[in-house]
Amino acid sequence: MKRKVKAACVVALSAVLALGACSSGSETATEPTTEEEQTQSTEPADPYGSYEEPMTISIGMQVDPTDKDLPTGDTPLDNQYTRQIEEALNIKVEHAFTASAANMRQKISLAIASNDLPDAMVVNAVELRQMVAAGQLADLTQVYERYASPEIKDIIDKTDGAALKSVTFDGKMYAIPGVQADADGIHIMWIRQDWLDKLGLEPPKSMEELATVARAFVEEDPDGNGSADTIGISGPQSGDGKMYANFLESKNNLYGFDAIFSAYGAFPGYWLDDGSGKPVYGSTLPETKEALSGLRDLYAQGLIDPEMAVREASDEPIINGKSGIFFAPWWMGYGPLTNAVKNDPEANWQAYALPLDADGAFRPHAATPSTEFVVVRKDYANPEVPMKMLNNLFKNEMENTFDPSKGGPGFYPLRVVFAPSDEIEFTNKAIKEVLAGTKTKEDYVNDRPYKLLPSDLENITKIKQEPYDDWSIGTWTPDADWGAWTRAYSIMVGGNPIVDTEMERINSLIYEQTPLMESRWVNLKKMEDEMFLKIVMGVAPVDSFDQFVEDWKRQGGEQITNEVAEAIQQ
Amino acid sequence: MIRDRTWGSRLTDIVILVVLISITLTCILPIWYTLALSLSSNSAAAAGQVWLWPVGFNFNAYTQILKDTQFFGSFWISIQRVALGAALNFVVVLLMAYPLSRTDRQFKARGVLMWILVFCMLFNGGLIPLYLTVKGLGMLNSVWALVLVGGAQTLVFNVILTVNFFRNLPKELDEAALVDGAGPWYSLFRIYLPLAVPVLATITLFSIVYHWNEFLYGLIFMTREQYYPLQTYIQQLVVSVDPATMSEDQYRRLSELSNRTLDAAKIFIAMLPIMVVYPFLQRYFIHGITLGSVKE
Amino acid sequence: MRIKSFDKHYYLMLLPGYLWLIVFSIVPMFGIAIAFQYFNPGKGIFHSEWAGLEHFRYMFVLKDTRDVFFNTLIIAVLKIIAHLVVPLVFALMLNELRKLVVKRWIQTVVYLPHFLSWVILGGIILDLFSYNGPVNQLGAMFGFKPTLFFAQAELFPWLVVGSDVWKEFGFNTIIYLAALTGINPALYEAAGMDGAGRWKSLWHITLPGIRTTAVLLAVLSLGNVLNAGFDQIFNLYNPLVYSTGDIIDTWVYRTGLLNLQYELATAVGLLKSVIGFILISVSYFLAYRLINYRIF
Repeated sequence: MKRKVKAACVVALSAVLALGACSSGSETATEPTTEEEQTQSTEPADPYGSYEEPMTISIGMQVDPTDKDLPTGDTPLDNQYTRQIEEALNIKVEHAFTASAANMRQKISLAIASNDLPDAMVVNAVELRQMVAAGQLADLTQVYERYASPEIKDIIDKTDGAALKSVTFDGKMYAIPGVQADADGIHIMWIRQDWLDKLGLEPPKSMEELATVARAFVEEDPDGNGSADTIGISGPQSGDGKMYANFLESKNNLYGFDAIFSAYGAFPGYWLDDGSGKPVYGSTLPETKEALSGLRDLYAQGLIDPEMAVREASDEPIINGKSGIFFAPWWMGYGPLTNAVKNDPEANWQAYALPLDADGAFRPHAATPSTEFVVVRKDYANPEVPMKMLNNLFKNEMENTFDPSKGGPGFYPLRVVFAPSDEIEFTNKAIKEVLAGTKTKEDYVNDRPYKLLPSDLENITKIKQEPYDDWSIGTWTPDADWGAWTRAYSIMVGGNPIVDTEMERINSLIYEQTPLMESRWVNLKKMEDEMFLKIVMGVAPVDSFDQFVEDWKRQGGEQITNEVAEAIQQ
Repeated sequence: MIRDRTWGSRLTDIVILVVLISITLTCILPIWYTLALSLSSNSAAAAGQVWLWPVGFNFNAYTQILKDTQFFGSFWISIQRVALGAALNFVVVLLMAYPLSRTDRQFKARGVLMWILVFCMLFNGGLIPLYLTVKGLGMLNSVWALVLVGGAQTLVFNVILTVNFFRNLPKELDEAALVDGAGPWYSLFRIYLPLAVPVLATITLFSIVYHWNEFLYGLIFMTREQYYPLQTYIQQLVVSVDPATMSEDQYRRLSELSNRTLDAAKIFIAMLPIMVVYPFLQRYFIHGITLGSVKE
Repeated sequence: MRIKSFDKHYYLMLLPGYLWLIVFSIVPMFGIAIAFQYFNPGKGIFHSEWAGLEHFRYMFVLKDTRDVFFNTLIIAVLKIIAHLVVPLVFALMLNELRKLVVKRWIQTVVYLPHFLSWVILGGIILDLFSYNGPVNQLGAMFGFKPTLFFAQAELFPWLVVGSDVWKEFGFNTIIYLAALTGINPALYEAAGMDGAGRWKSLWHITLPGIRTTAVLLAVLSLGNVLNAGFDQIFNLYNPLVYSTGDIIDTWVYRTGLLNLQYELATAVGLLKSVIGFILISVSYFLAYRLINYRIF
């Protein structure tokens, strides 16, 4: 018997070795081509040049199977975008894996952990750092220098180095950073203006007024159906819903309480200067405790959605006309508002840079410009291929080559957003000028990086009727073109408070992880999220905040703070 | 069993019957509720107006599913997985259970081999090495990954059940065959197999249920959704997504996709095959489980 | 009787099964090494640096791991007790029923939830217990305020245990019912003649008659003390109830795959396997000693 067991062990062992051989075998580089030799030089190359030999690139891509945007016959691998890429660049795209939005992170983790990487994919900041640490990525410094198109370089430069900093490790650039408009990081108050008008109320300027308005929304039957089924303030949804954006995910936090926190002067989740040049974590400051206590009161009085943090989808009550207030960025036309207005054409959602803090100022936290990164596998023979694809995307978006009705831009392989930092503000102002007749479309022909501006200016009069200084829902005609309305309503109604309000933006000292965070942050963050939710929902006493601060420091927070201090020295 | 006929006893009977029936009802109601939801109008479902009867009765969800090729693709993969998984499980368990049900005197290695099985059941290296193994064998995106990985994890339990069943069969049968000079193969297929129908039906049912219901491996080993088995496909419909990780157009597309009645209809269809199969296998598995696990 | 020439046939029969296990269970165990490494995915398992026991030390410092072990233990033990008691009571009640048709129907229906996956049941249960869901609407009729059942950490373990019992009690009843039919009817007749009522018969005949079964089931379930049910909790929980509802398996999954902390996850998983192995061994010897039963 013993011999048999030994034999079994030998079989197992040889299988292990074979496996090891397999997995390392698959990583060996494909034959280098002439293109690779070119990347050694530093001379600029043609950002749009086509390859003579067909190139293939395998990518990981987000595809939602229930998404029926593509015309019949087209697939995520064969559609207007892939055909254009093949035609213009002679690049053939293959899928190493696809996953829905919900499973994408998990698939990427699996690819990283098993070192079974596609040639290129789009990752987030944490994954980027992990891959750099594991030595899995190609150095893209030269590629960016030589191949990036002038417009993309321009957009990246306009972030004052923030975008480049987020992808530079030890002086080398390991990814191409996407750049999103600054406005994505400003969380404003969306409110049912028609409910306010009906109840004879003004938009709430302070926390006290917010409570008053929310109470009226809950108790005075603003939807007039005779039953007490309305929500004052919407809250985060279950699963990934957050009460506030944080330094790692600093933008697009829907249905959180970001503006309420900043009204208390609190910036949880952000790394702040303690006044003496030393970093301090916002979640551990007394202002945050105060804000939590304020939220706790609102929740206890039933003014915040009682189902917050458990509701599967926080947009549901908004769409169904059951919620009066929520906090989110400017682009809510793309969010729940399209369906809300389709359900009830009178639902007059307006946005305000409110509530204000004790000094009467609106001081929102600001986001990092880059949250999505295109990375390239270390041994991929043609690391410039993804850069060329991005150049090509941006060029064709400027030239309006693609027809969104034949599949949204999400089907463009390796797509990340390149938006000028001030895209929303600029477009908002331009539309107002054109509506007022002070400028015409032709005055903007040279603003090429604002790639959607021409169509925005073209479409606005289709869907916006006079008076042009009133943005109530009644002055819009969305039925004329829902697609254009979605964007224009977002830019105008959502953009107005950003354009019209003087605001001091609070930045986090860093937007990336430090080394120790890799192993500790998840657990610290989890502790924080749980504790804060419990405090707000009245499960734990407010003073357990102090215990949290102590635990946080003891369980690695202190060391991490030191690391952050070092990181900002550099 | 002797019964007394007093009023108190009758009352007890009635109480018991009422309790039993109400408990039984709780087992059907959730399924009934899902059916009602799937037949309701979308807005009624979203507003939470549906309870035991459909509101705004319609078949829209079902006609929509008929057009959903992904749904039927996944359904077909699940069918394949169940058929292959159950068949393989049947053969391998039968072959393993016979030698392992010999006494320690008849087959000396039995004890060690049994402990190896238990070891396999309890220890694992996590998902990442499993993924590398499956990839190394070229089985990513293949239904065989689901059949073999899932099957290996349920194999041991089924073997133990069957071994116990075999050990409880009368020894005389076996010994008579040996006296006649029959070998182990004859003994297994001619003597044990016909007697083992209950337990084999039971482990087959277990295997069918397991392979039909398991969802995680679909997520891990399939690199494209078109290869997902049905439960994986359904699972991803129900999870929520973080908008902070998405750009606004991705988010917009997603929010247009959620649809409660459609989800309910998919869930209901996914339940159907099991609901149809199990009443037929029931008389076998009652026998199989009790003989396999309990020896009085 | 041992016939030596049979051994090679036995091994031949075992070959497919053990090959299967070697490839899909034993080989992937090389991943356990990750628990002792500074795992660098770029270098792989064979070239990463060794960390010794550092991850285990961190594991014992971390409050999280203590919490998840504790949660797992509580939920699993509650489940074990409930799975022993509820089906027993149900079987006893069913046994009192005189109408066989009703009995058969009830039996068939209460098995049903056992066959449905947690992907599906999780979706249905969350829906039933949602703020506007049927359970709260029912409660409102009796004057209860609507509650968010799945948001309350102190409720969550009970909901998990309750829904699991609901899913499985029908199936677990089978074994007790079999044991009940095994009791000699002559005993009841004799008791009836002695003038013993229904309760006396229950106490003096029925319960002693199934005592061995109950003890055996209790001993067998010892091996499940660290299995609180991944599929169920994965499909039911949310961050609000992590403090009481996060169990080893869900934590390992999230930590290892979603949070990229492979080493810690593997270490915790390994500890769980070791404890599980010890427990199974204990129940093996207990069963052997107490009721002279060989589990395998």
